[in-house]
Amino acid sequence: MPYEMIATLMFSSMMLMLLTGQRVFGAIGFIAVIAALLLWGDRGGYDIGFSAAMKLMKWYPLLTLPMFIFMGYVLSESKIADDLYKMFHVWMGGLRGGLAIGTIGLMVLISAMNGLSVAGMAIGSTIALPELLKRGYDKRMVTGVIQAGSSLGILVPPSVVLVLYAMIARQPVGQLWLAGVVPGLMMAAMFIAYIVIRCRINPVLGPVLPAQERNIPRAEKLRLLRAGLLPIIIFATMMVPFVKGWTSLVESSAIGAMAAFCAAVLKGRMTREVFENSVRNTLGITCMFMWIILAALAFGAVFDGLGAVKAIEAVFTERLNLSPWMILILMQLSFILMGTFLDDTAMLVIVAPLYVPLVGELGFDLIWYGILYTITTQIAYMTPPFGYNLFLMRAMAPPEISLRDIYASITPFVLVMVFALTLVMVFPGIATWLPDYVYNKP
Amino acid sequence: MHSMMQGYIRYVDAVNLRIGRIVMYGIFVLMGILIWSSISKTFFLPSLWTLEMAQFTMVAYYILGGPYSIQLGSNVRMDLLYGEWSLRKKAWFDLLTVFFLIFYLCVLLYGAISSTAYSLGYWGGDPLSFFGGLITGGEEIGRLERSSSAWRPYLWPIKSIMILGMFLMLLQCISELFKDVLRLKGEKI
Amino acid sequence: APAVAQSTIKWRMQTYAGASLAAEVIVPAIEMFNKIAGDRMQIELFFADQIVPTGELFQAMQRGTIDAVQSDDDSMASPTEVTVFGGYFPFGSRYSLDVPVLFNQYGLNEIWDEEYSKVGVKHISAGAWDPCHFATKDPINSLADLKGKRVFTFPTAGRFLSQFGVVPVNLPWEDIEVAMQTGELDGIAWSGITEDYTVGWADVTNYFLTNNISGAWAGSFFANMDRWNELPEDLQTLFRVCCDQSHYYRQWWYWGGEANLRVNGDKMKLTTIPDDEWATVEAKALEFWEEIAAESETKRRVVDIFKKYNADMVKAGRPYRYG
Ligand code: NA
Ligand code: NA
Repeated sequence: MPYEMIATLMFSSMMLMLLTGQRVFGAIGFIAVIAALLLWGDRGGYDIGFSAAMKLMKWYPLLTLPMFIFMGYVLSESKIADDLYKMFHVWMGGLRGGLAIGTIGLMVLISAMNGLSVAGMAIGSTIALPELLKRGYDKRMVTGVIQAGSSLGILVPPSVVLVLYAMIARQPVGQLWLAGVVPGLMMAAMFIAYIVIRCRINPVLGPVLPAQERNIPRAEKLRLLRAGLLPIIIFATMMVPFVKGWTSLVESSAIGAMAAFCAAVLKGRMTREVFENSVRNTLGITCMFMWIILAALAFGAVFDGLGAVKAIEAVFTERLNLSPWMILILMQLSFILMGTFLDDTAMLVIVAPLYVPLVGELGFDLIWYGILYTITTQIAYMTPPFGYNLFLMRAMAPPEISLRDIYASITPFVLVMVFALTLVMVFPGIATWLPDYVYNKP
Repeated sequence: MHSMMQGYIRYVDAVNLRIGRIVMYGIFVLMGILIWSSISKTFFLPSLWTLEMAQFTMVAYYILGGPYSIQLGSNVRMDLLYGEWSLRKKAWFDLLTVFFLIFYLCVLLYGAISSTAYSLGYWGGDPLSFFGGLITGGEEIGRLERSSSAWRPYLWPIKSIMILGMFLMLLQCISELFKDVLRLKGEKI
Repeated sequence: APAVAQSTIKWRMQTYAGASLAAEVIVPAIEMFNKIAGDRMQIELFFADQIVPTGELFQAMQRGTIDAVQSDDDSMASPTEVTVFGGYFPFGSRYSLDVPVLFNQYGLNEIWDEEYSKVGVKHISAGAWDPCHFATKDPINSLADLKGKRVFTFPTAGRFLSQFGVVPVNLPWEDIEVAMQTGELDGIAWSGITEDYTVGWADVTNYFLTNNISGAWAGSFFANMDRWNELPEDLQTLFRVCCDQSHYYRQWWYWGGEANLRVNGDKMKLTTIPDDEWATVEAKALEFWEEIAAESETKRRVVDIFKKYNADMVKAGRPYRYG
């Protein structure tokens, strides 16, 4: 059987296995080992699965994974974000749509303190959402705000998705993280612009906070402003030593996790329950990630062994005879398509190794592509019918928000994100300027 | 048969729960190693052992923690179709597909055993008989594999931990299988 | 993939090198082999860590997951008595021609063959790679500057260098460039300047130390013993010839490249530790040799060969050795 056919067969049977609803790592791992056994038999077919575990052990940037996950849980479980929310509430409440704008601000700060979108989603839907609804904000708009805002978690550093991308593309994490800063802030600004415009056209969507709620003594207002310092301090204790080269990436992530933990202890929020939940959930989520990556690495090794990368490249460049930009756009589209029904980590570990070398060979900058990739996955997770973030939102949102609301809410934000994606594609400098500037690249 | 399955579930789940509850504090061990690494690097000579020790800790953390994460239901499934199914239908599908998972774990475990045998100096093709031989005295431990770093730790301890973790994972998945069987027989689990 | 006749022998081979370096050190030889062998045999080449991680390479070859390997003995941690001499054995060689002479004329081939036969692996042939220099972020002008530097290097070289305060770090080869940027490493003592430029390390370091702790490392081609014995004799010969082609290619590619980039390269500044200070390192190497030799009978044999060879070279005088 020609190799392309084996590769296609492997990929489609993996999809089929995933559809059965078995745990993702089991589905992928099974296809990987059965393919290795059928192809290579007793000539080592049975040790591809375990070799992946040794490979994974050596992937040192993954040591950051539990650290960032722990950070996110400490932040959301200990509710130290409450004060942050109040800060935006008081300071932005006087504007039309101000609370929604404040929520985007909140999401940016939370994004700077953790590496996934889950923490932002949890904080947004438990703290911000009920308050916004109580104040008469349009439920569809605010649901969209929280989903779009929390997706910044993987674009604004630190970002777990970019760490994984860095491992696969063999690109420096530091530069990738910096590359995410400007596009992340730009997207936040575009979300805010959208809110401002919508609320100007239709003030009912985001009513101004009543005067008595805004009438807060100046001293109290300033005290609340201090709450905004906390994330900045946590972010700085982690990022400054890293960018300065004093500590390595993995060391910085441990410092960040420690800083978040200390902040929660000092604020008196580290109760027994918060501690238990953070520690237990960190184990759960880390295991989920690691076992999926373990299985996907084995799958990838068999795929590599088949020369599937070369086959896909040949399909794109020779058979379809496409220009590099066409190929790039096609890849982005296929990512969005796959994002509708593939798990995000699995998608990264299986599909990215196929695409990234091709992108490099087509002459594109892999740092820049990392950002394109991340924005594309963000979109994929938000688009119906099936999206990772949609499911999370459904699980966390208060009952008055229906599934229809959730689906309807994201449309404008997805359009904004597609616009942002296009901007980054057309003006690569948006992503590459900051890393080039910091790392003095010519 | 019934009570045997129930006993198995009770026993395996309890063991894995205990182990998982201990291993979950590994996050602080990992954090400690990495923070010591940055302190020693900034103020003294960088330590030789920190990076590898952190890697070993991470492996022990996620492999030994795996069975507990299954109990917690942390392992994502693609719920495109699955999410809509009834409990009974889910149980039926799981009952079948968990064999694929078990197969994967068996291959993984076999690889781990074979690699651990190598780390104890066995270069033949039948690692199981090597371990058997170790017990009966027919085989002996040969050249111990060391990591190719300046610290040069022996590799058999971490590989043995991996065997243990993968074995416990296998036991846990069999426990999940039994749970589905009991569910289909109408018992509440 | 091209259609392949039913009877075609297929080998999987993995090199220690990543794609960019492999393009020079191995790809031409394998392409040549495949072109000549045609329908009779095809070798598929995989790069660093692609199928199995480098640490598992030896086991994978013993079991036949991989049929053939290109690597040094040291970084793939082969379970033999000669492992420490593959890779950079400190001050074992001064020029790249020393390596083939040691193997072909001073008896290392025979020792390697014995040792690998014991563990079921065919040692096909050894050749020379590049010298071992430091590429660092900060300039190295004295031995004191090496103190506390986290450096990616070969295991044995790392053991030797740690007495000068160097902290050897072992990471997957493909991750080195990233590790320099994530701050996991301060420098690299793994190659000469040709490799620094070829694989991109020159982009993440600033300085190149002209002193080296070895003039060339020894790397080899290996094969799974059964697979090797199954090959018809003419294909065995063809394989050997192509390995020799690879050895020859590296001989001039590195030798010329080192000089050219020192003179014309603009990415790294050259620094030098004065000769008399560096002589202390060389003296320590001889102590290190004795330390190694004391570990086993085989190691004693190899160290004696190194000693004999270097003594002969000194006696021969210029151009073999100066001073
Ligand atoms: Na983030
Ligand atoms: Na989607």
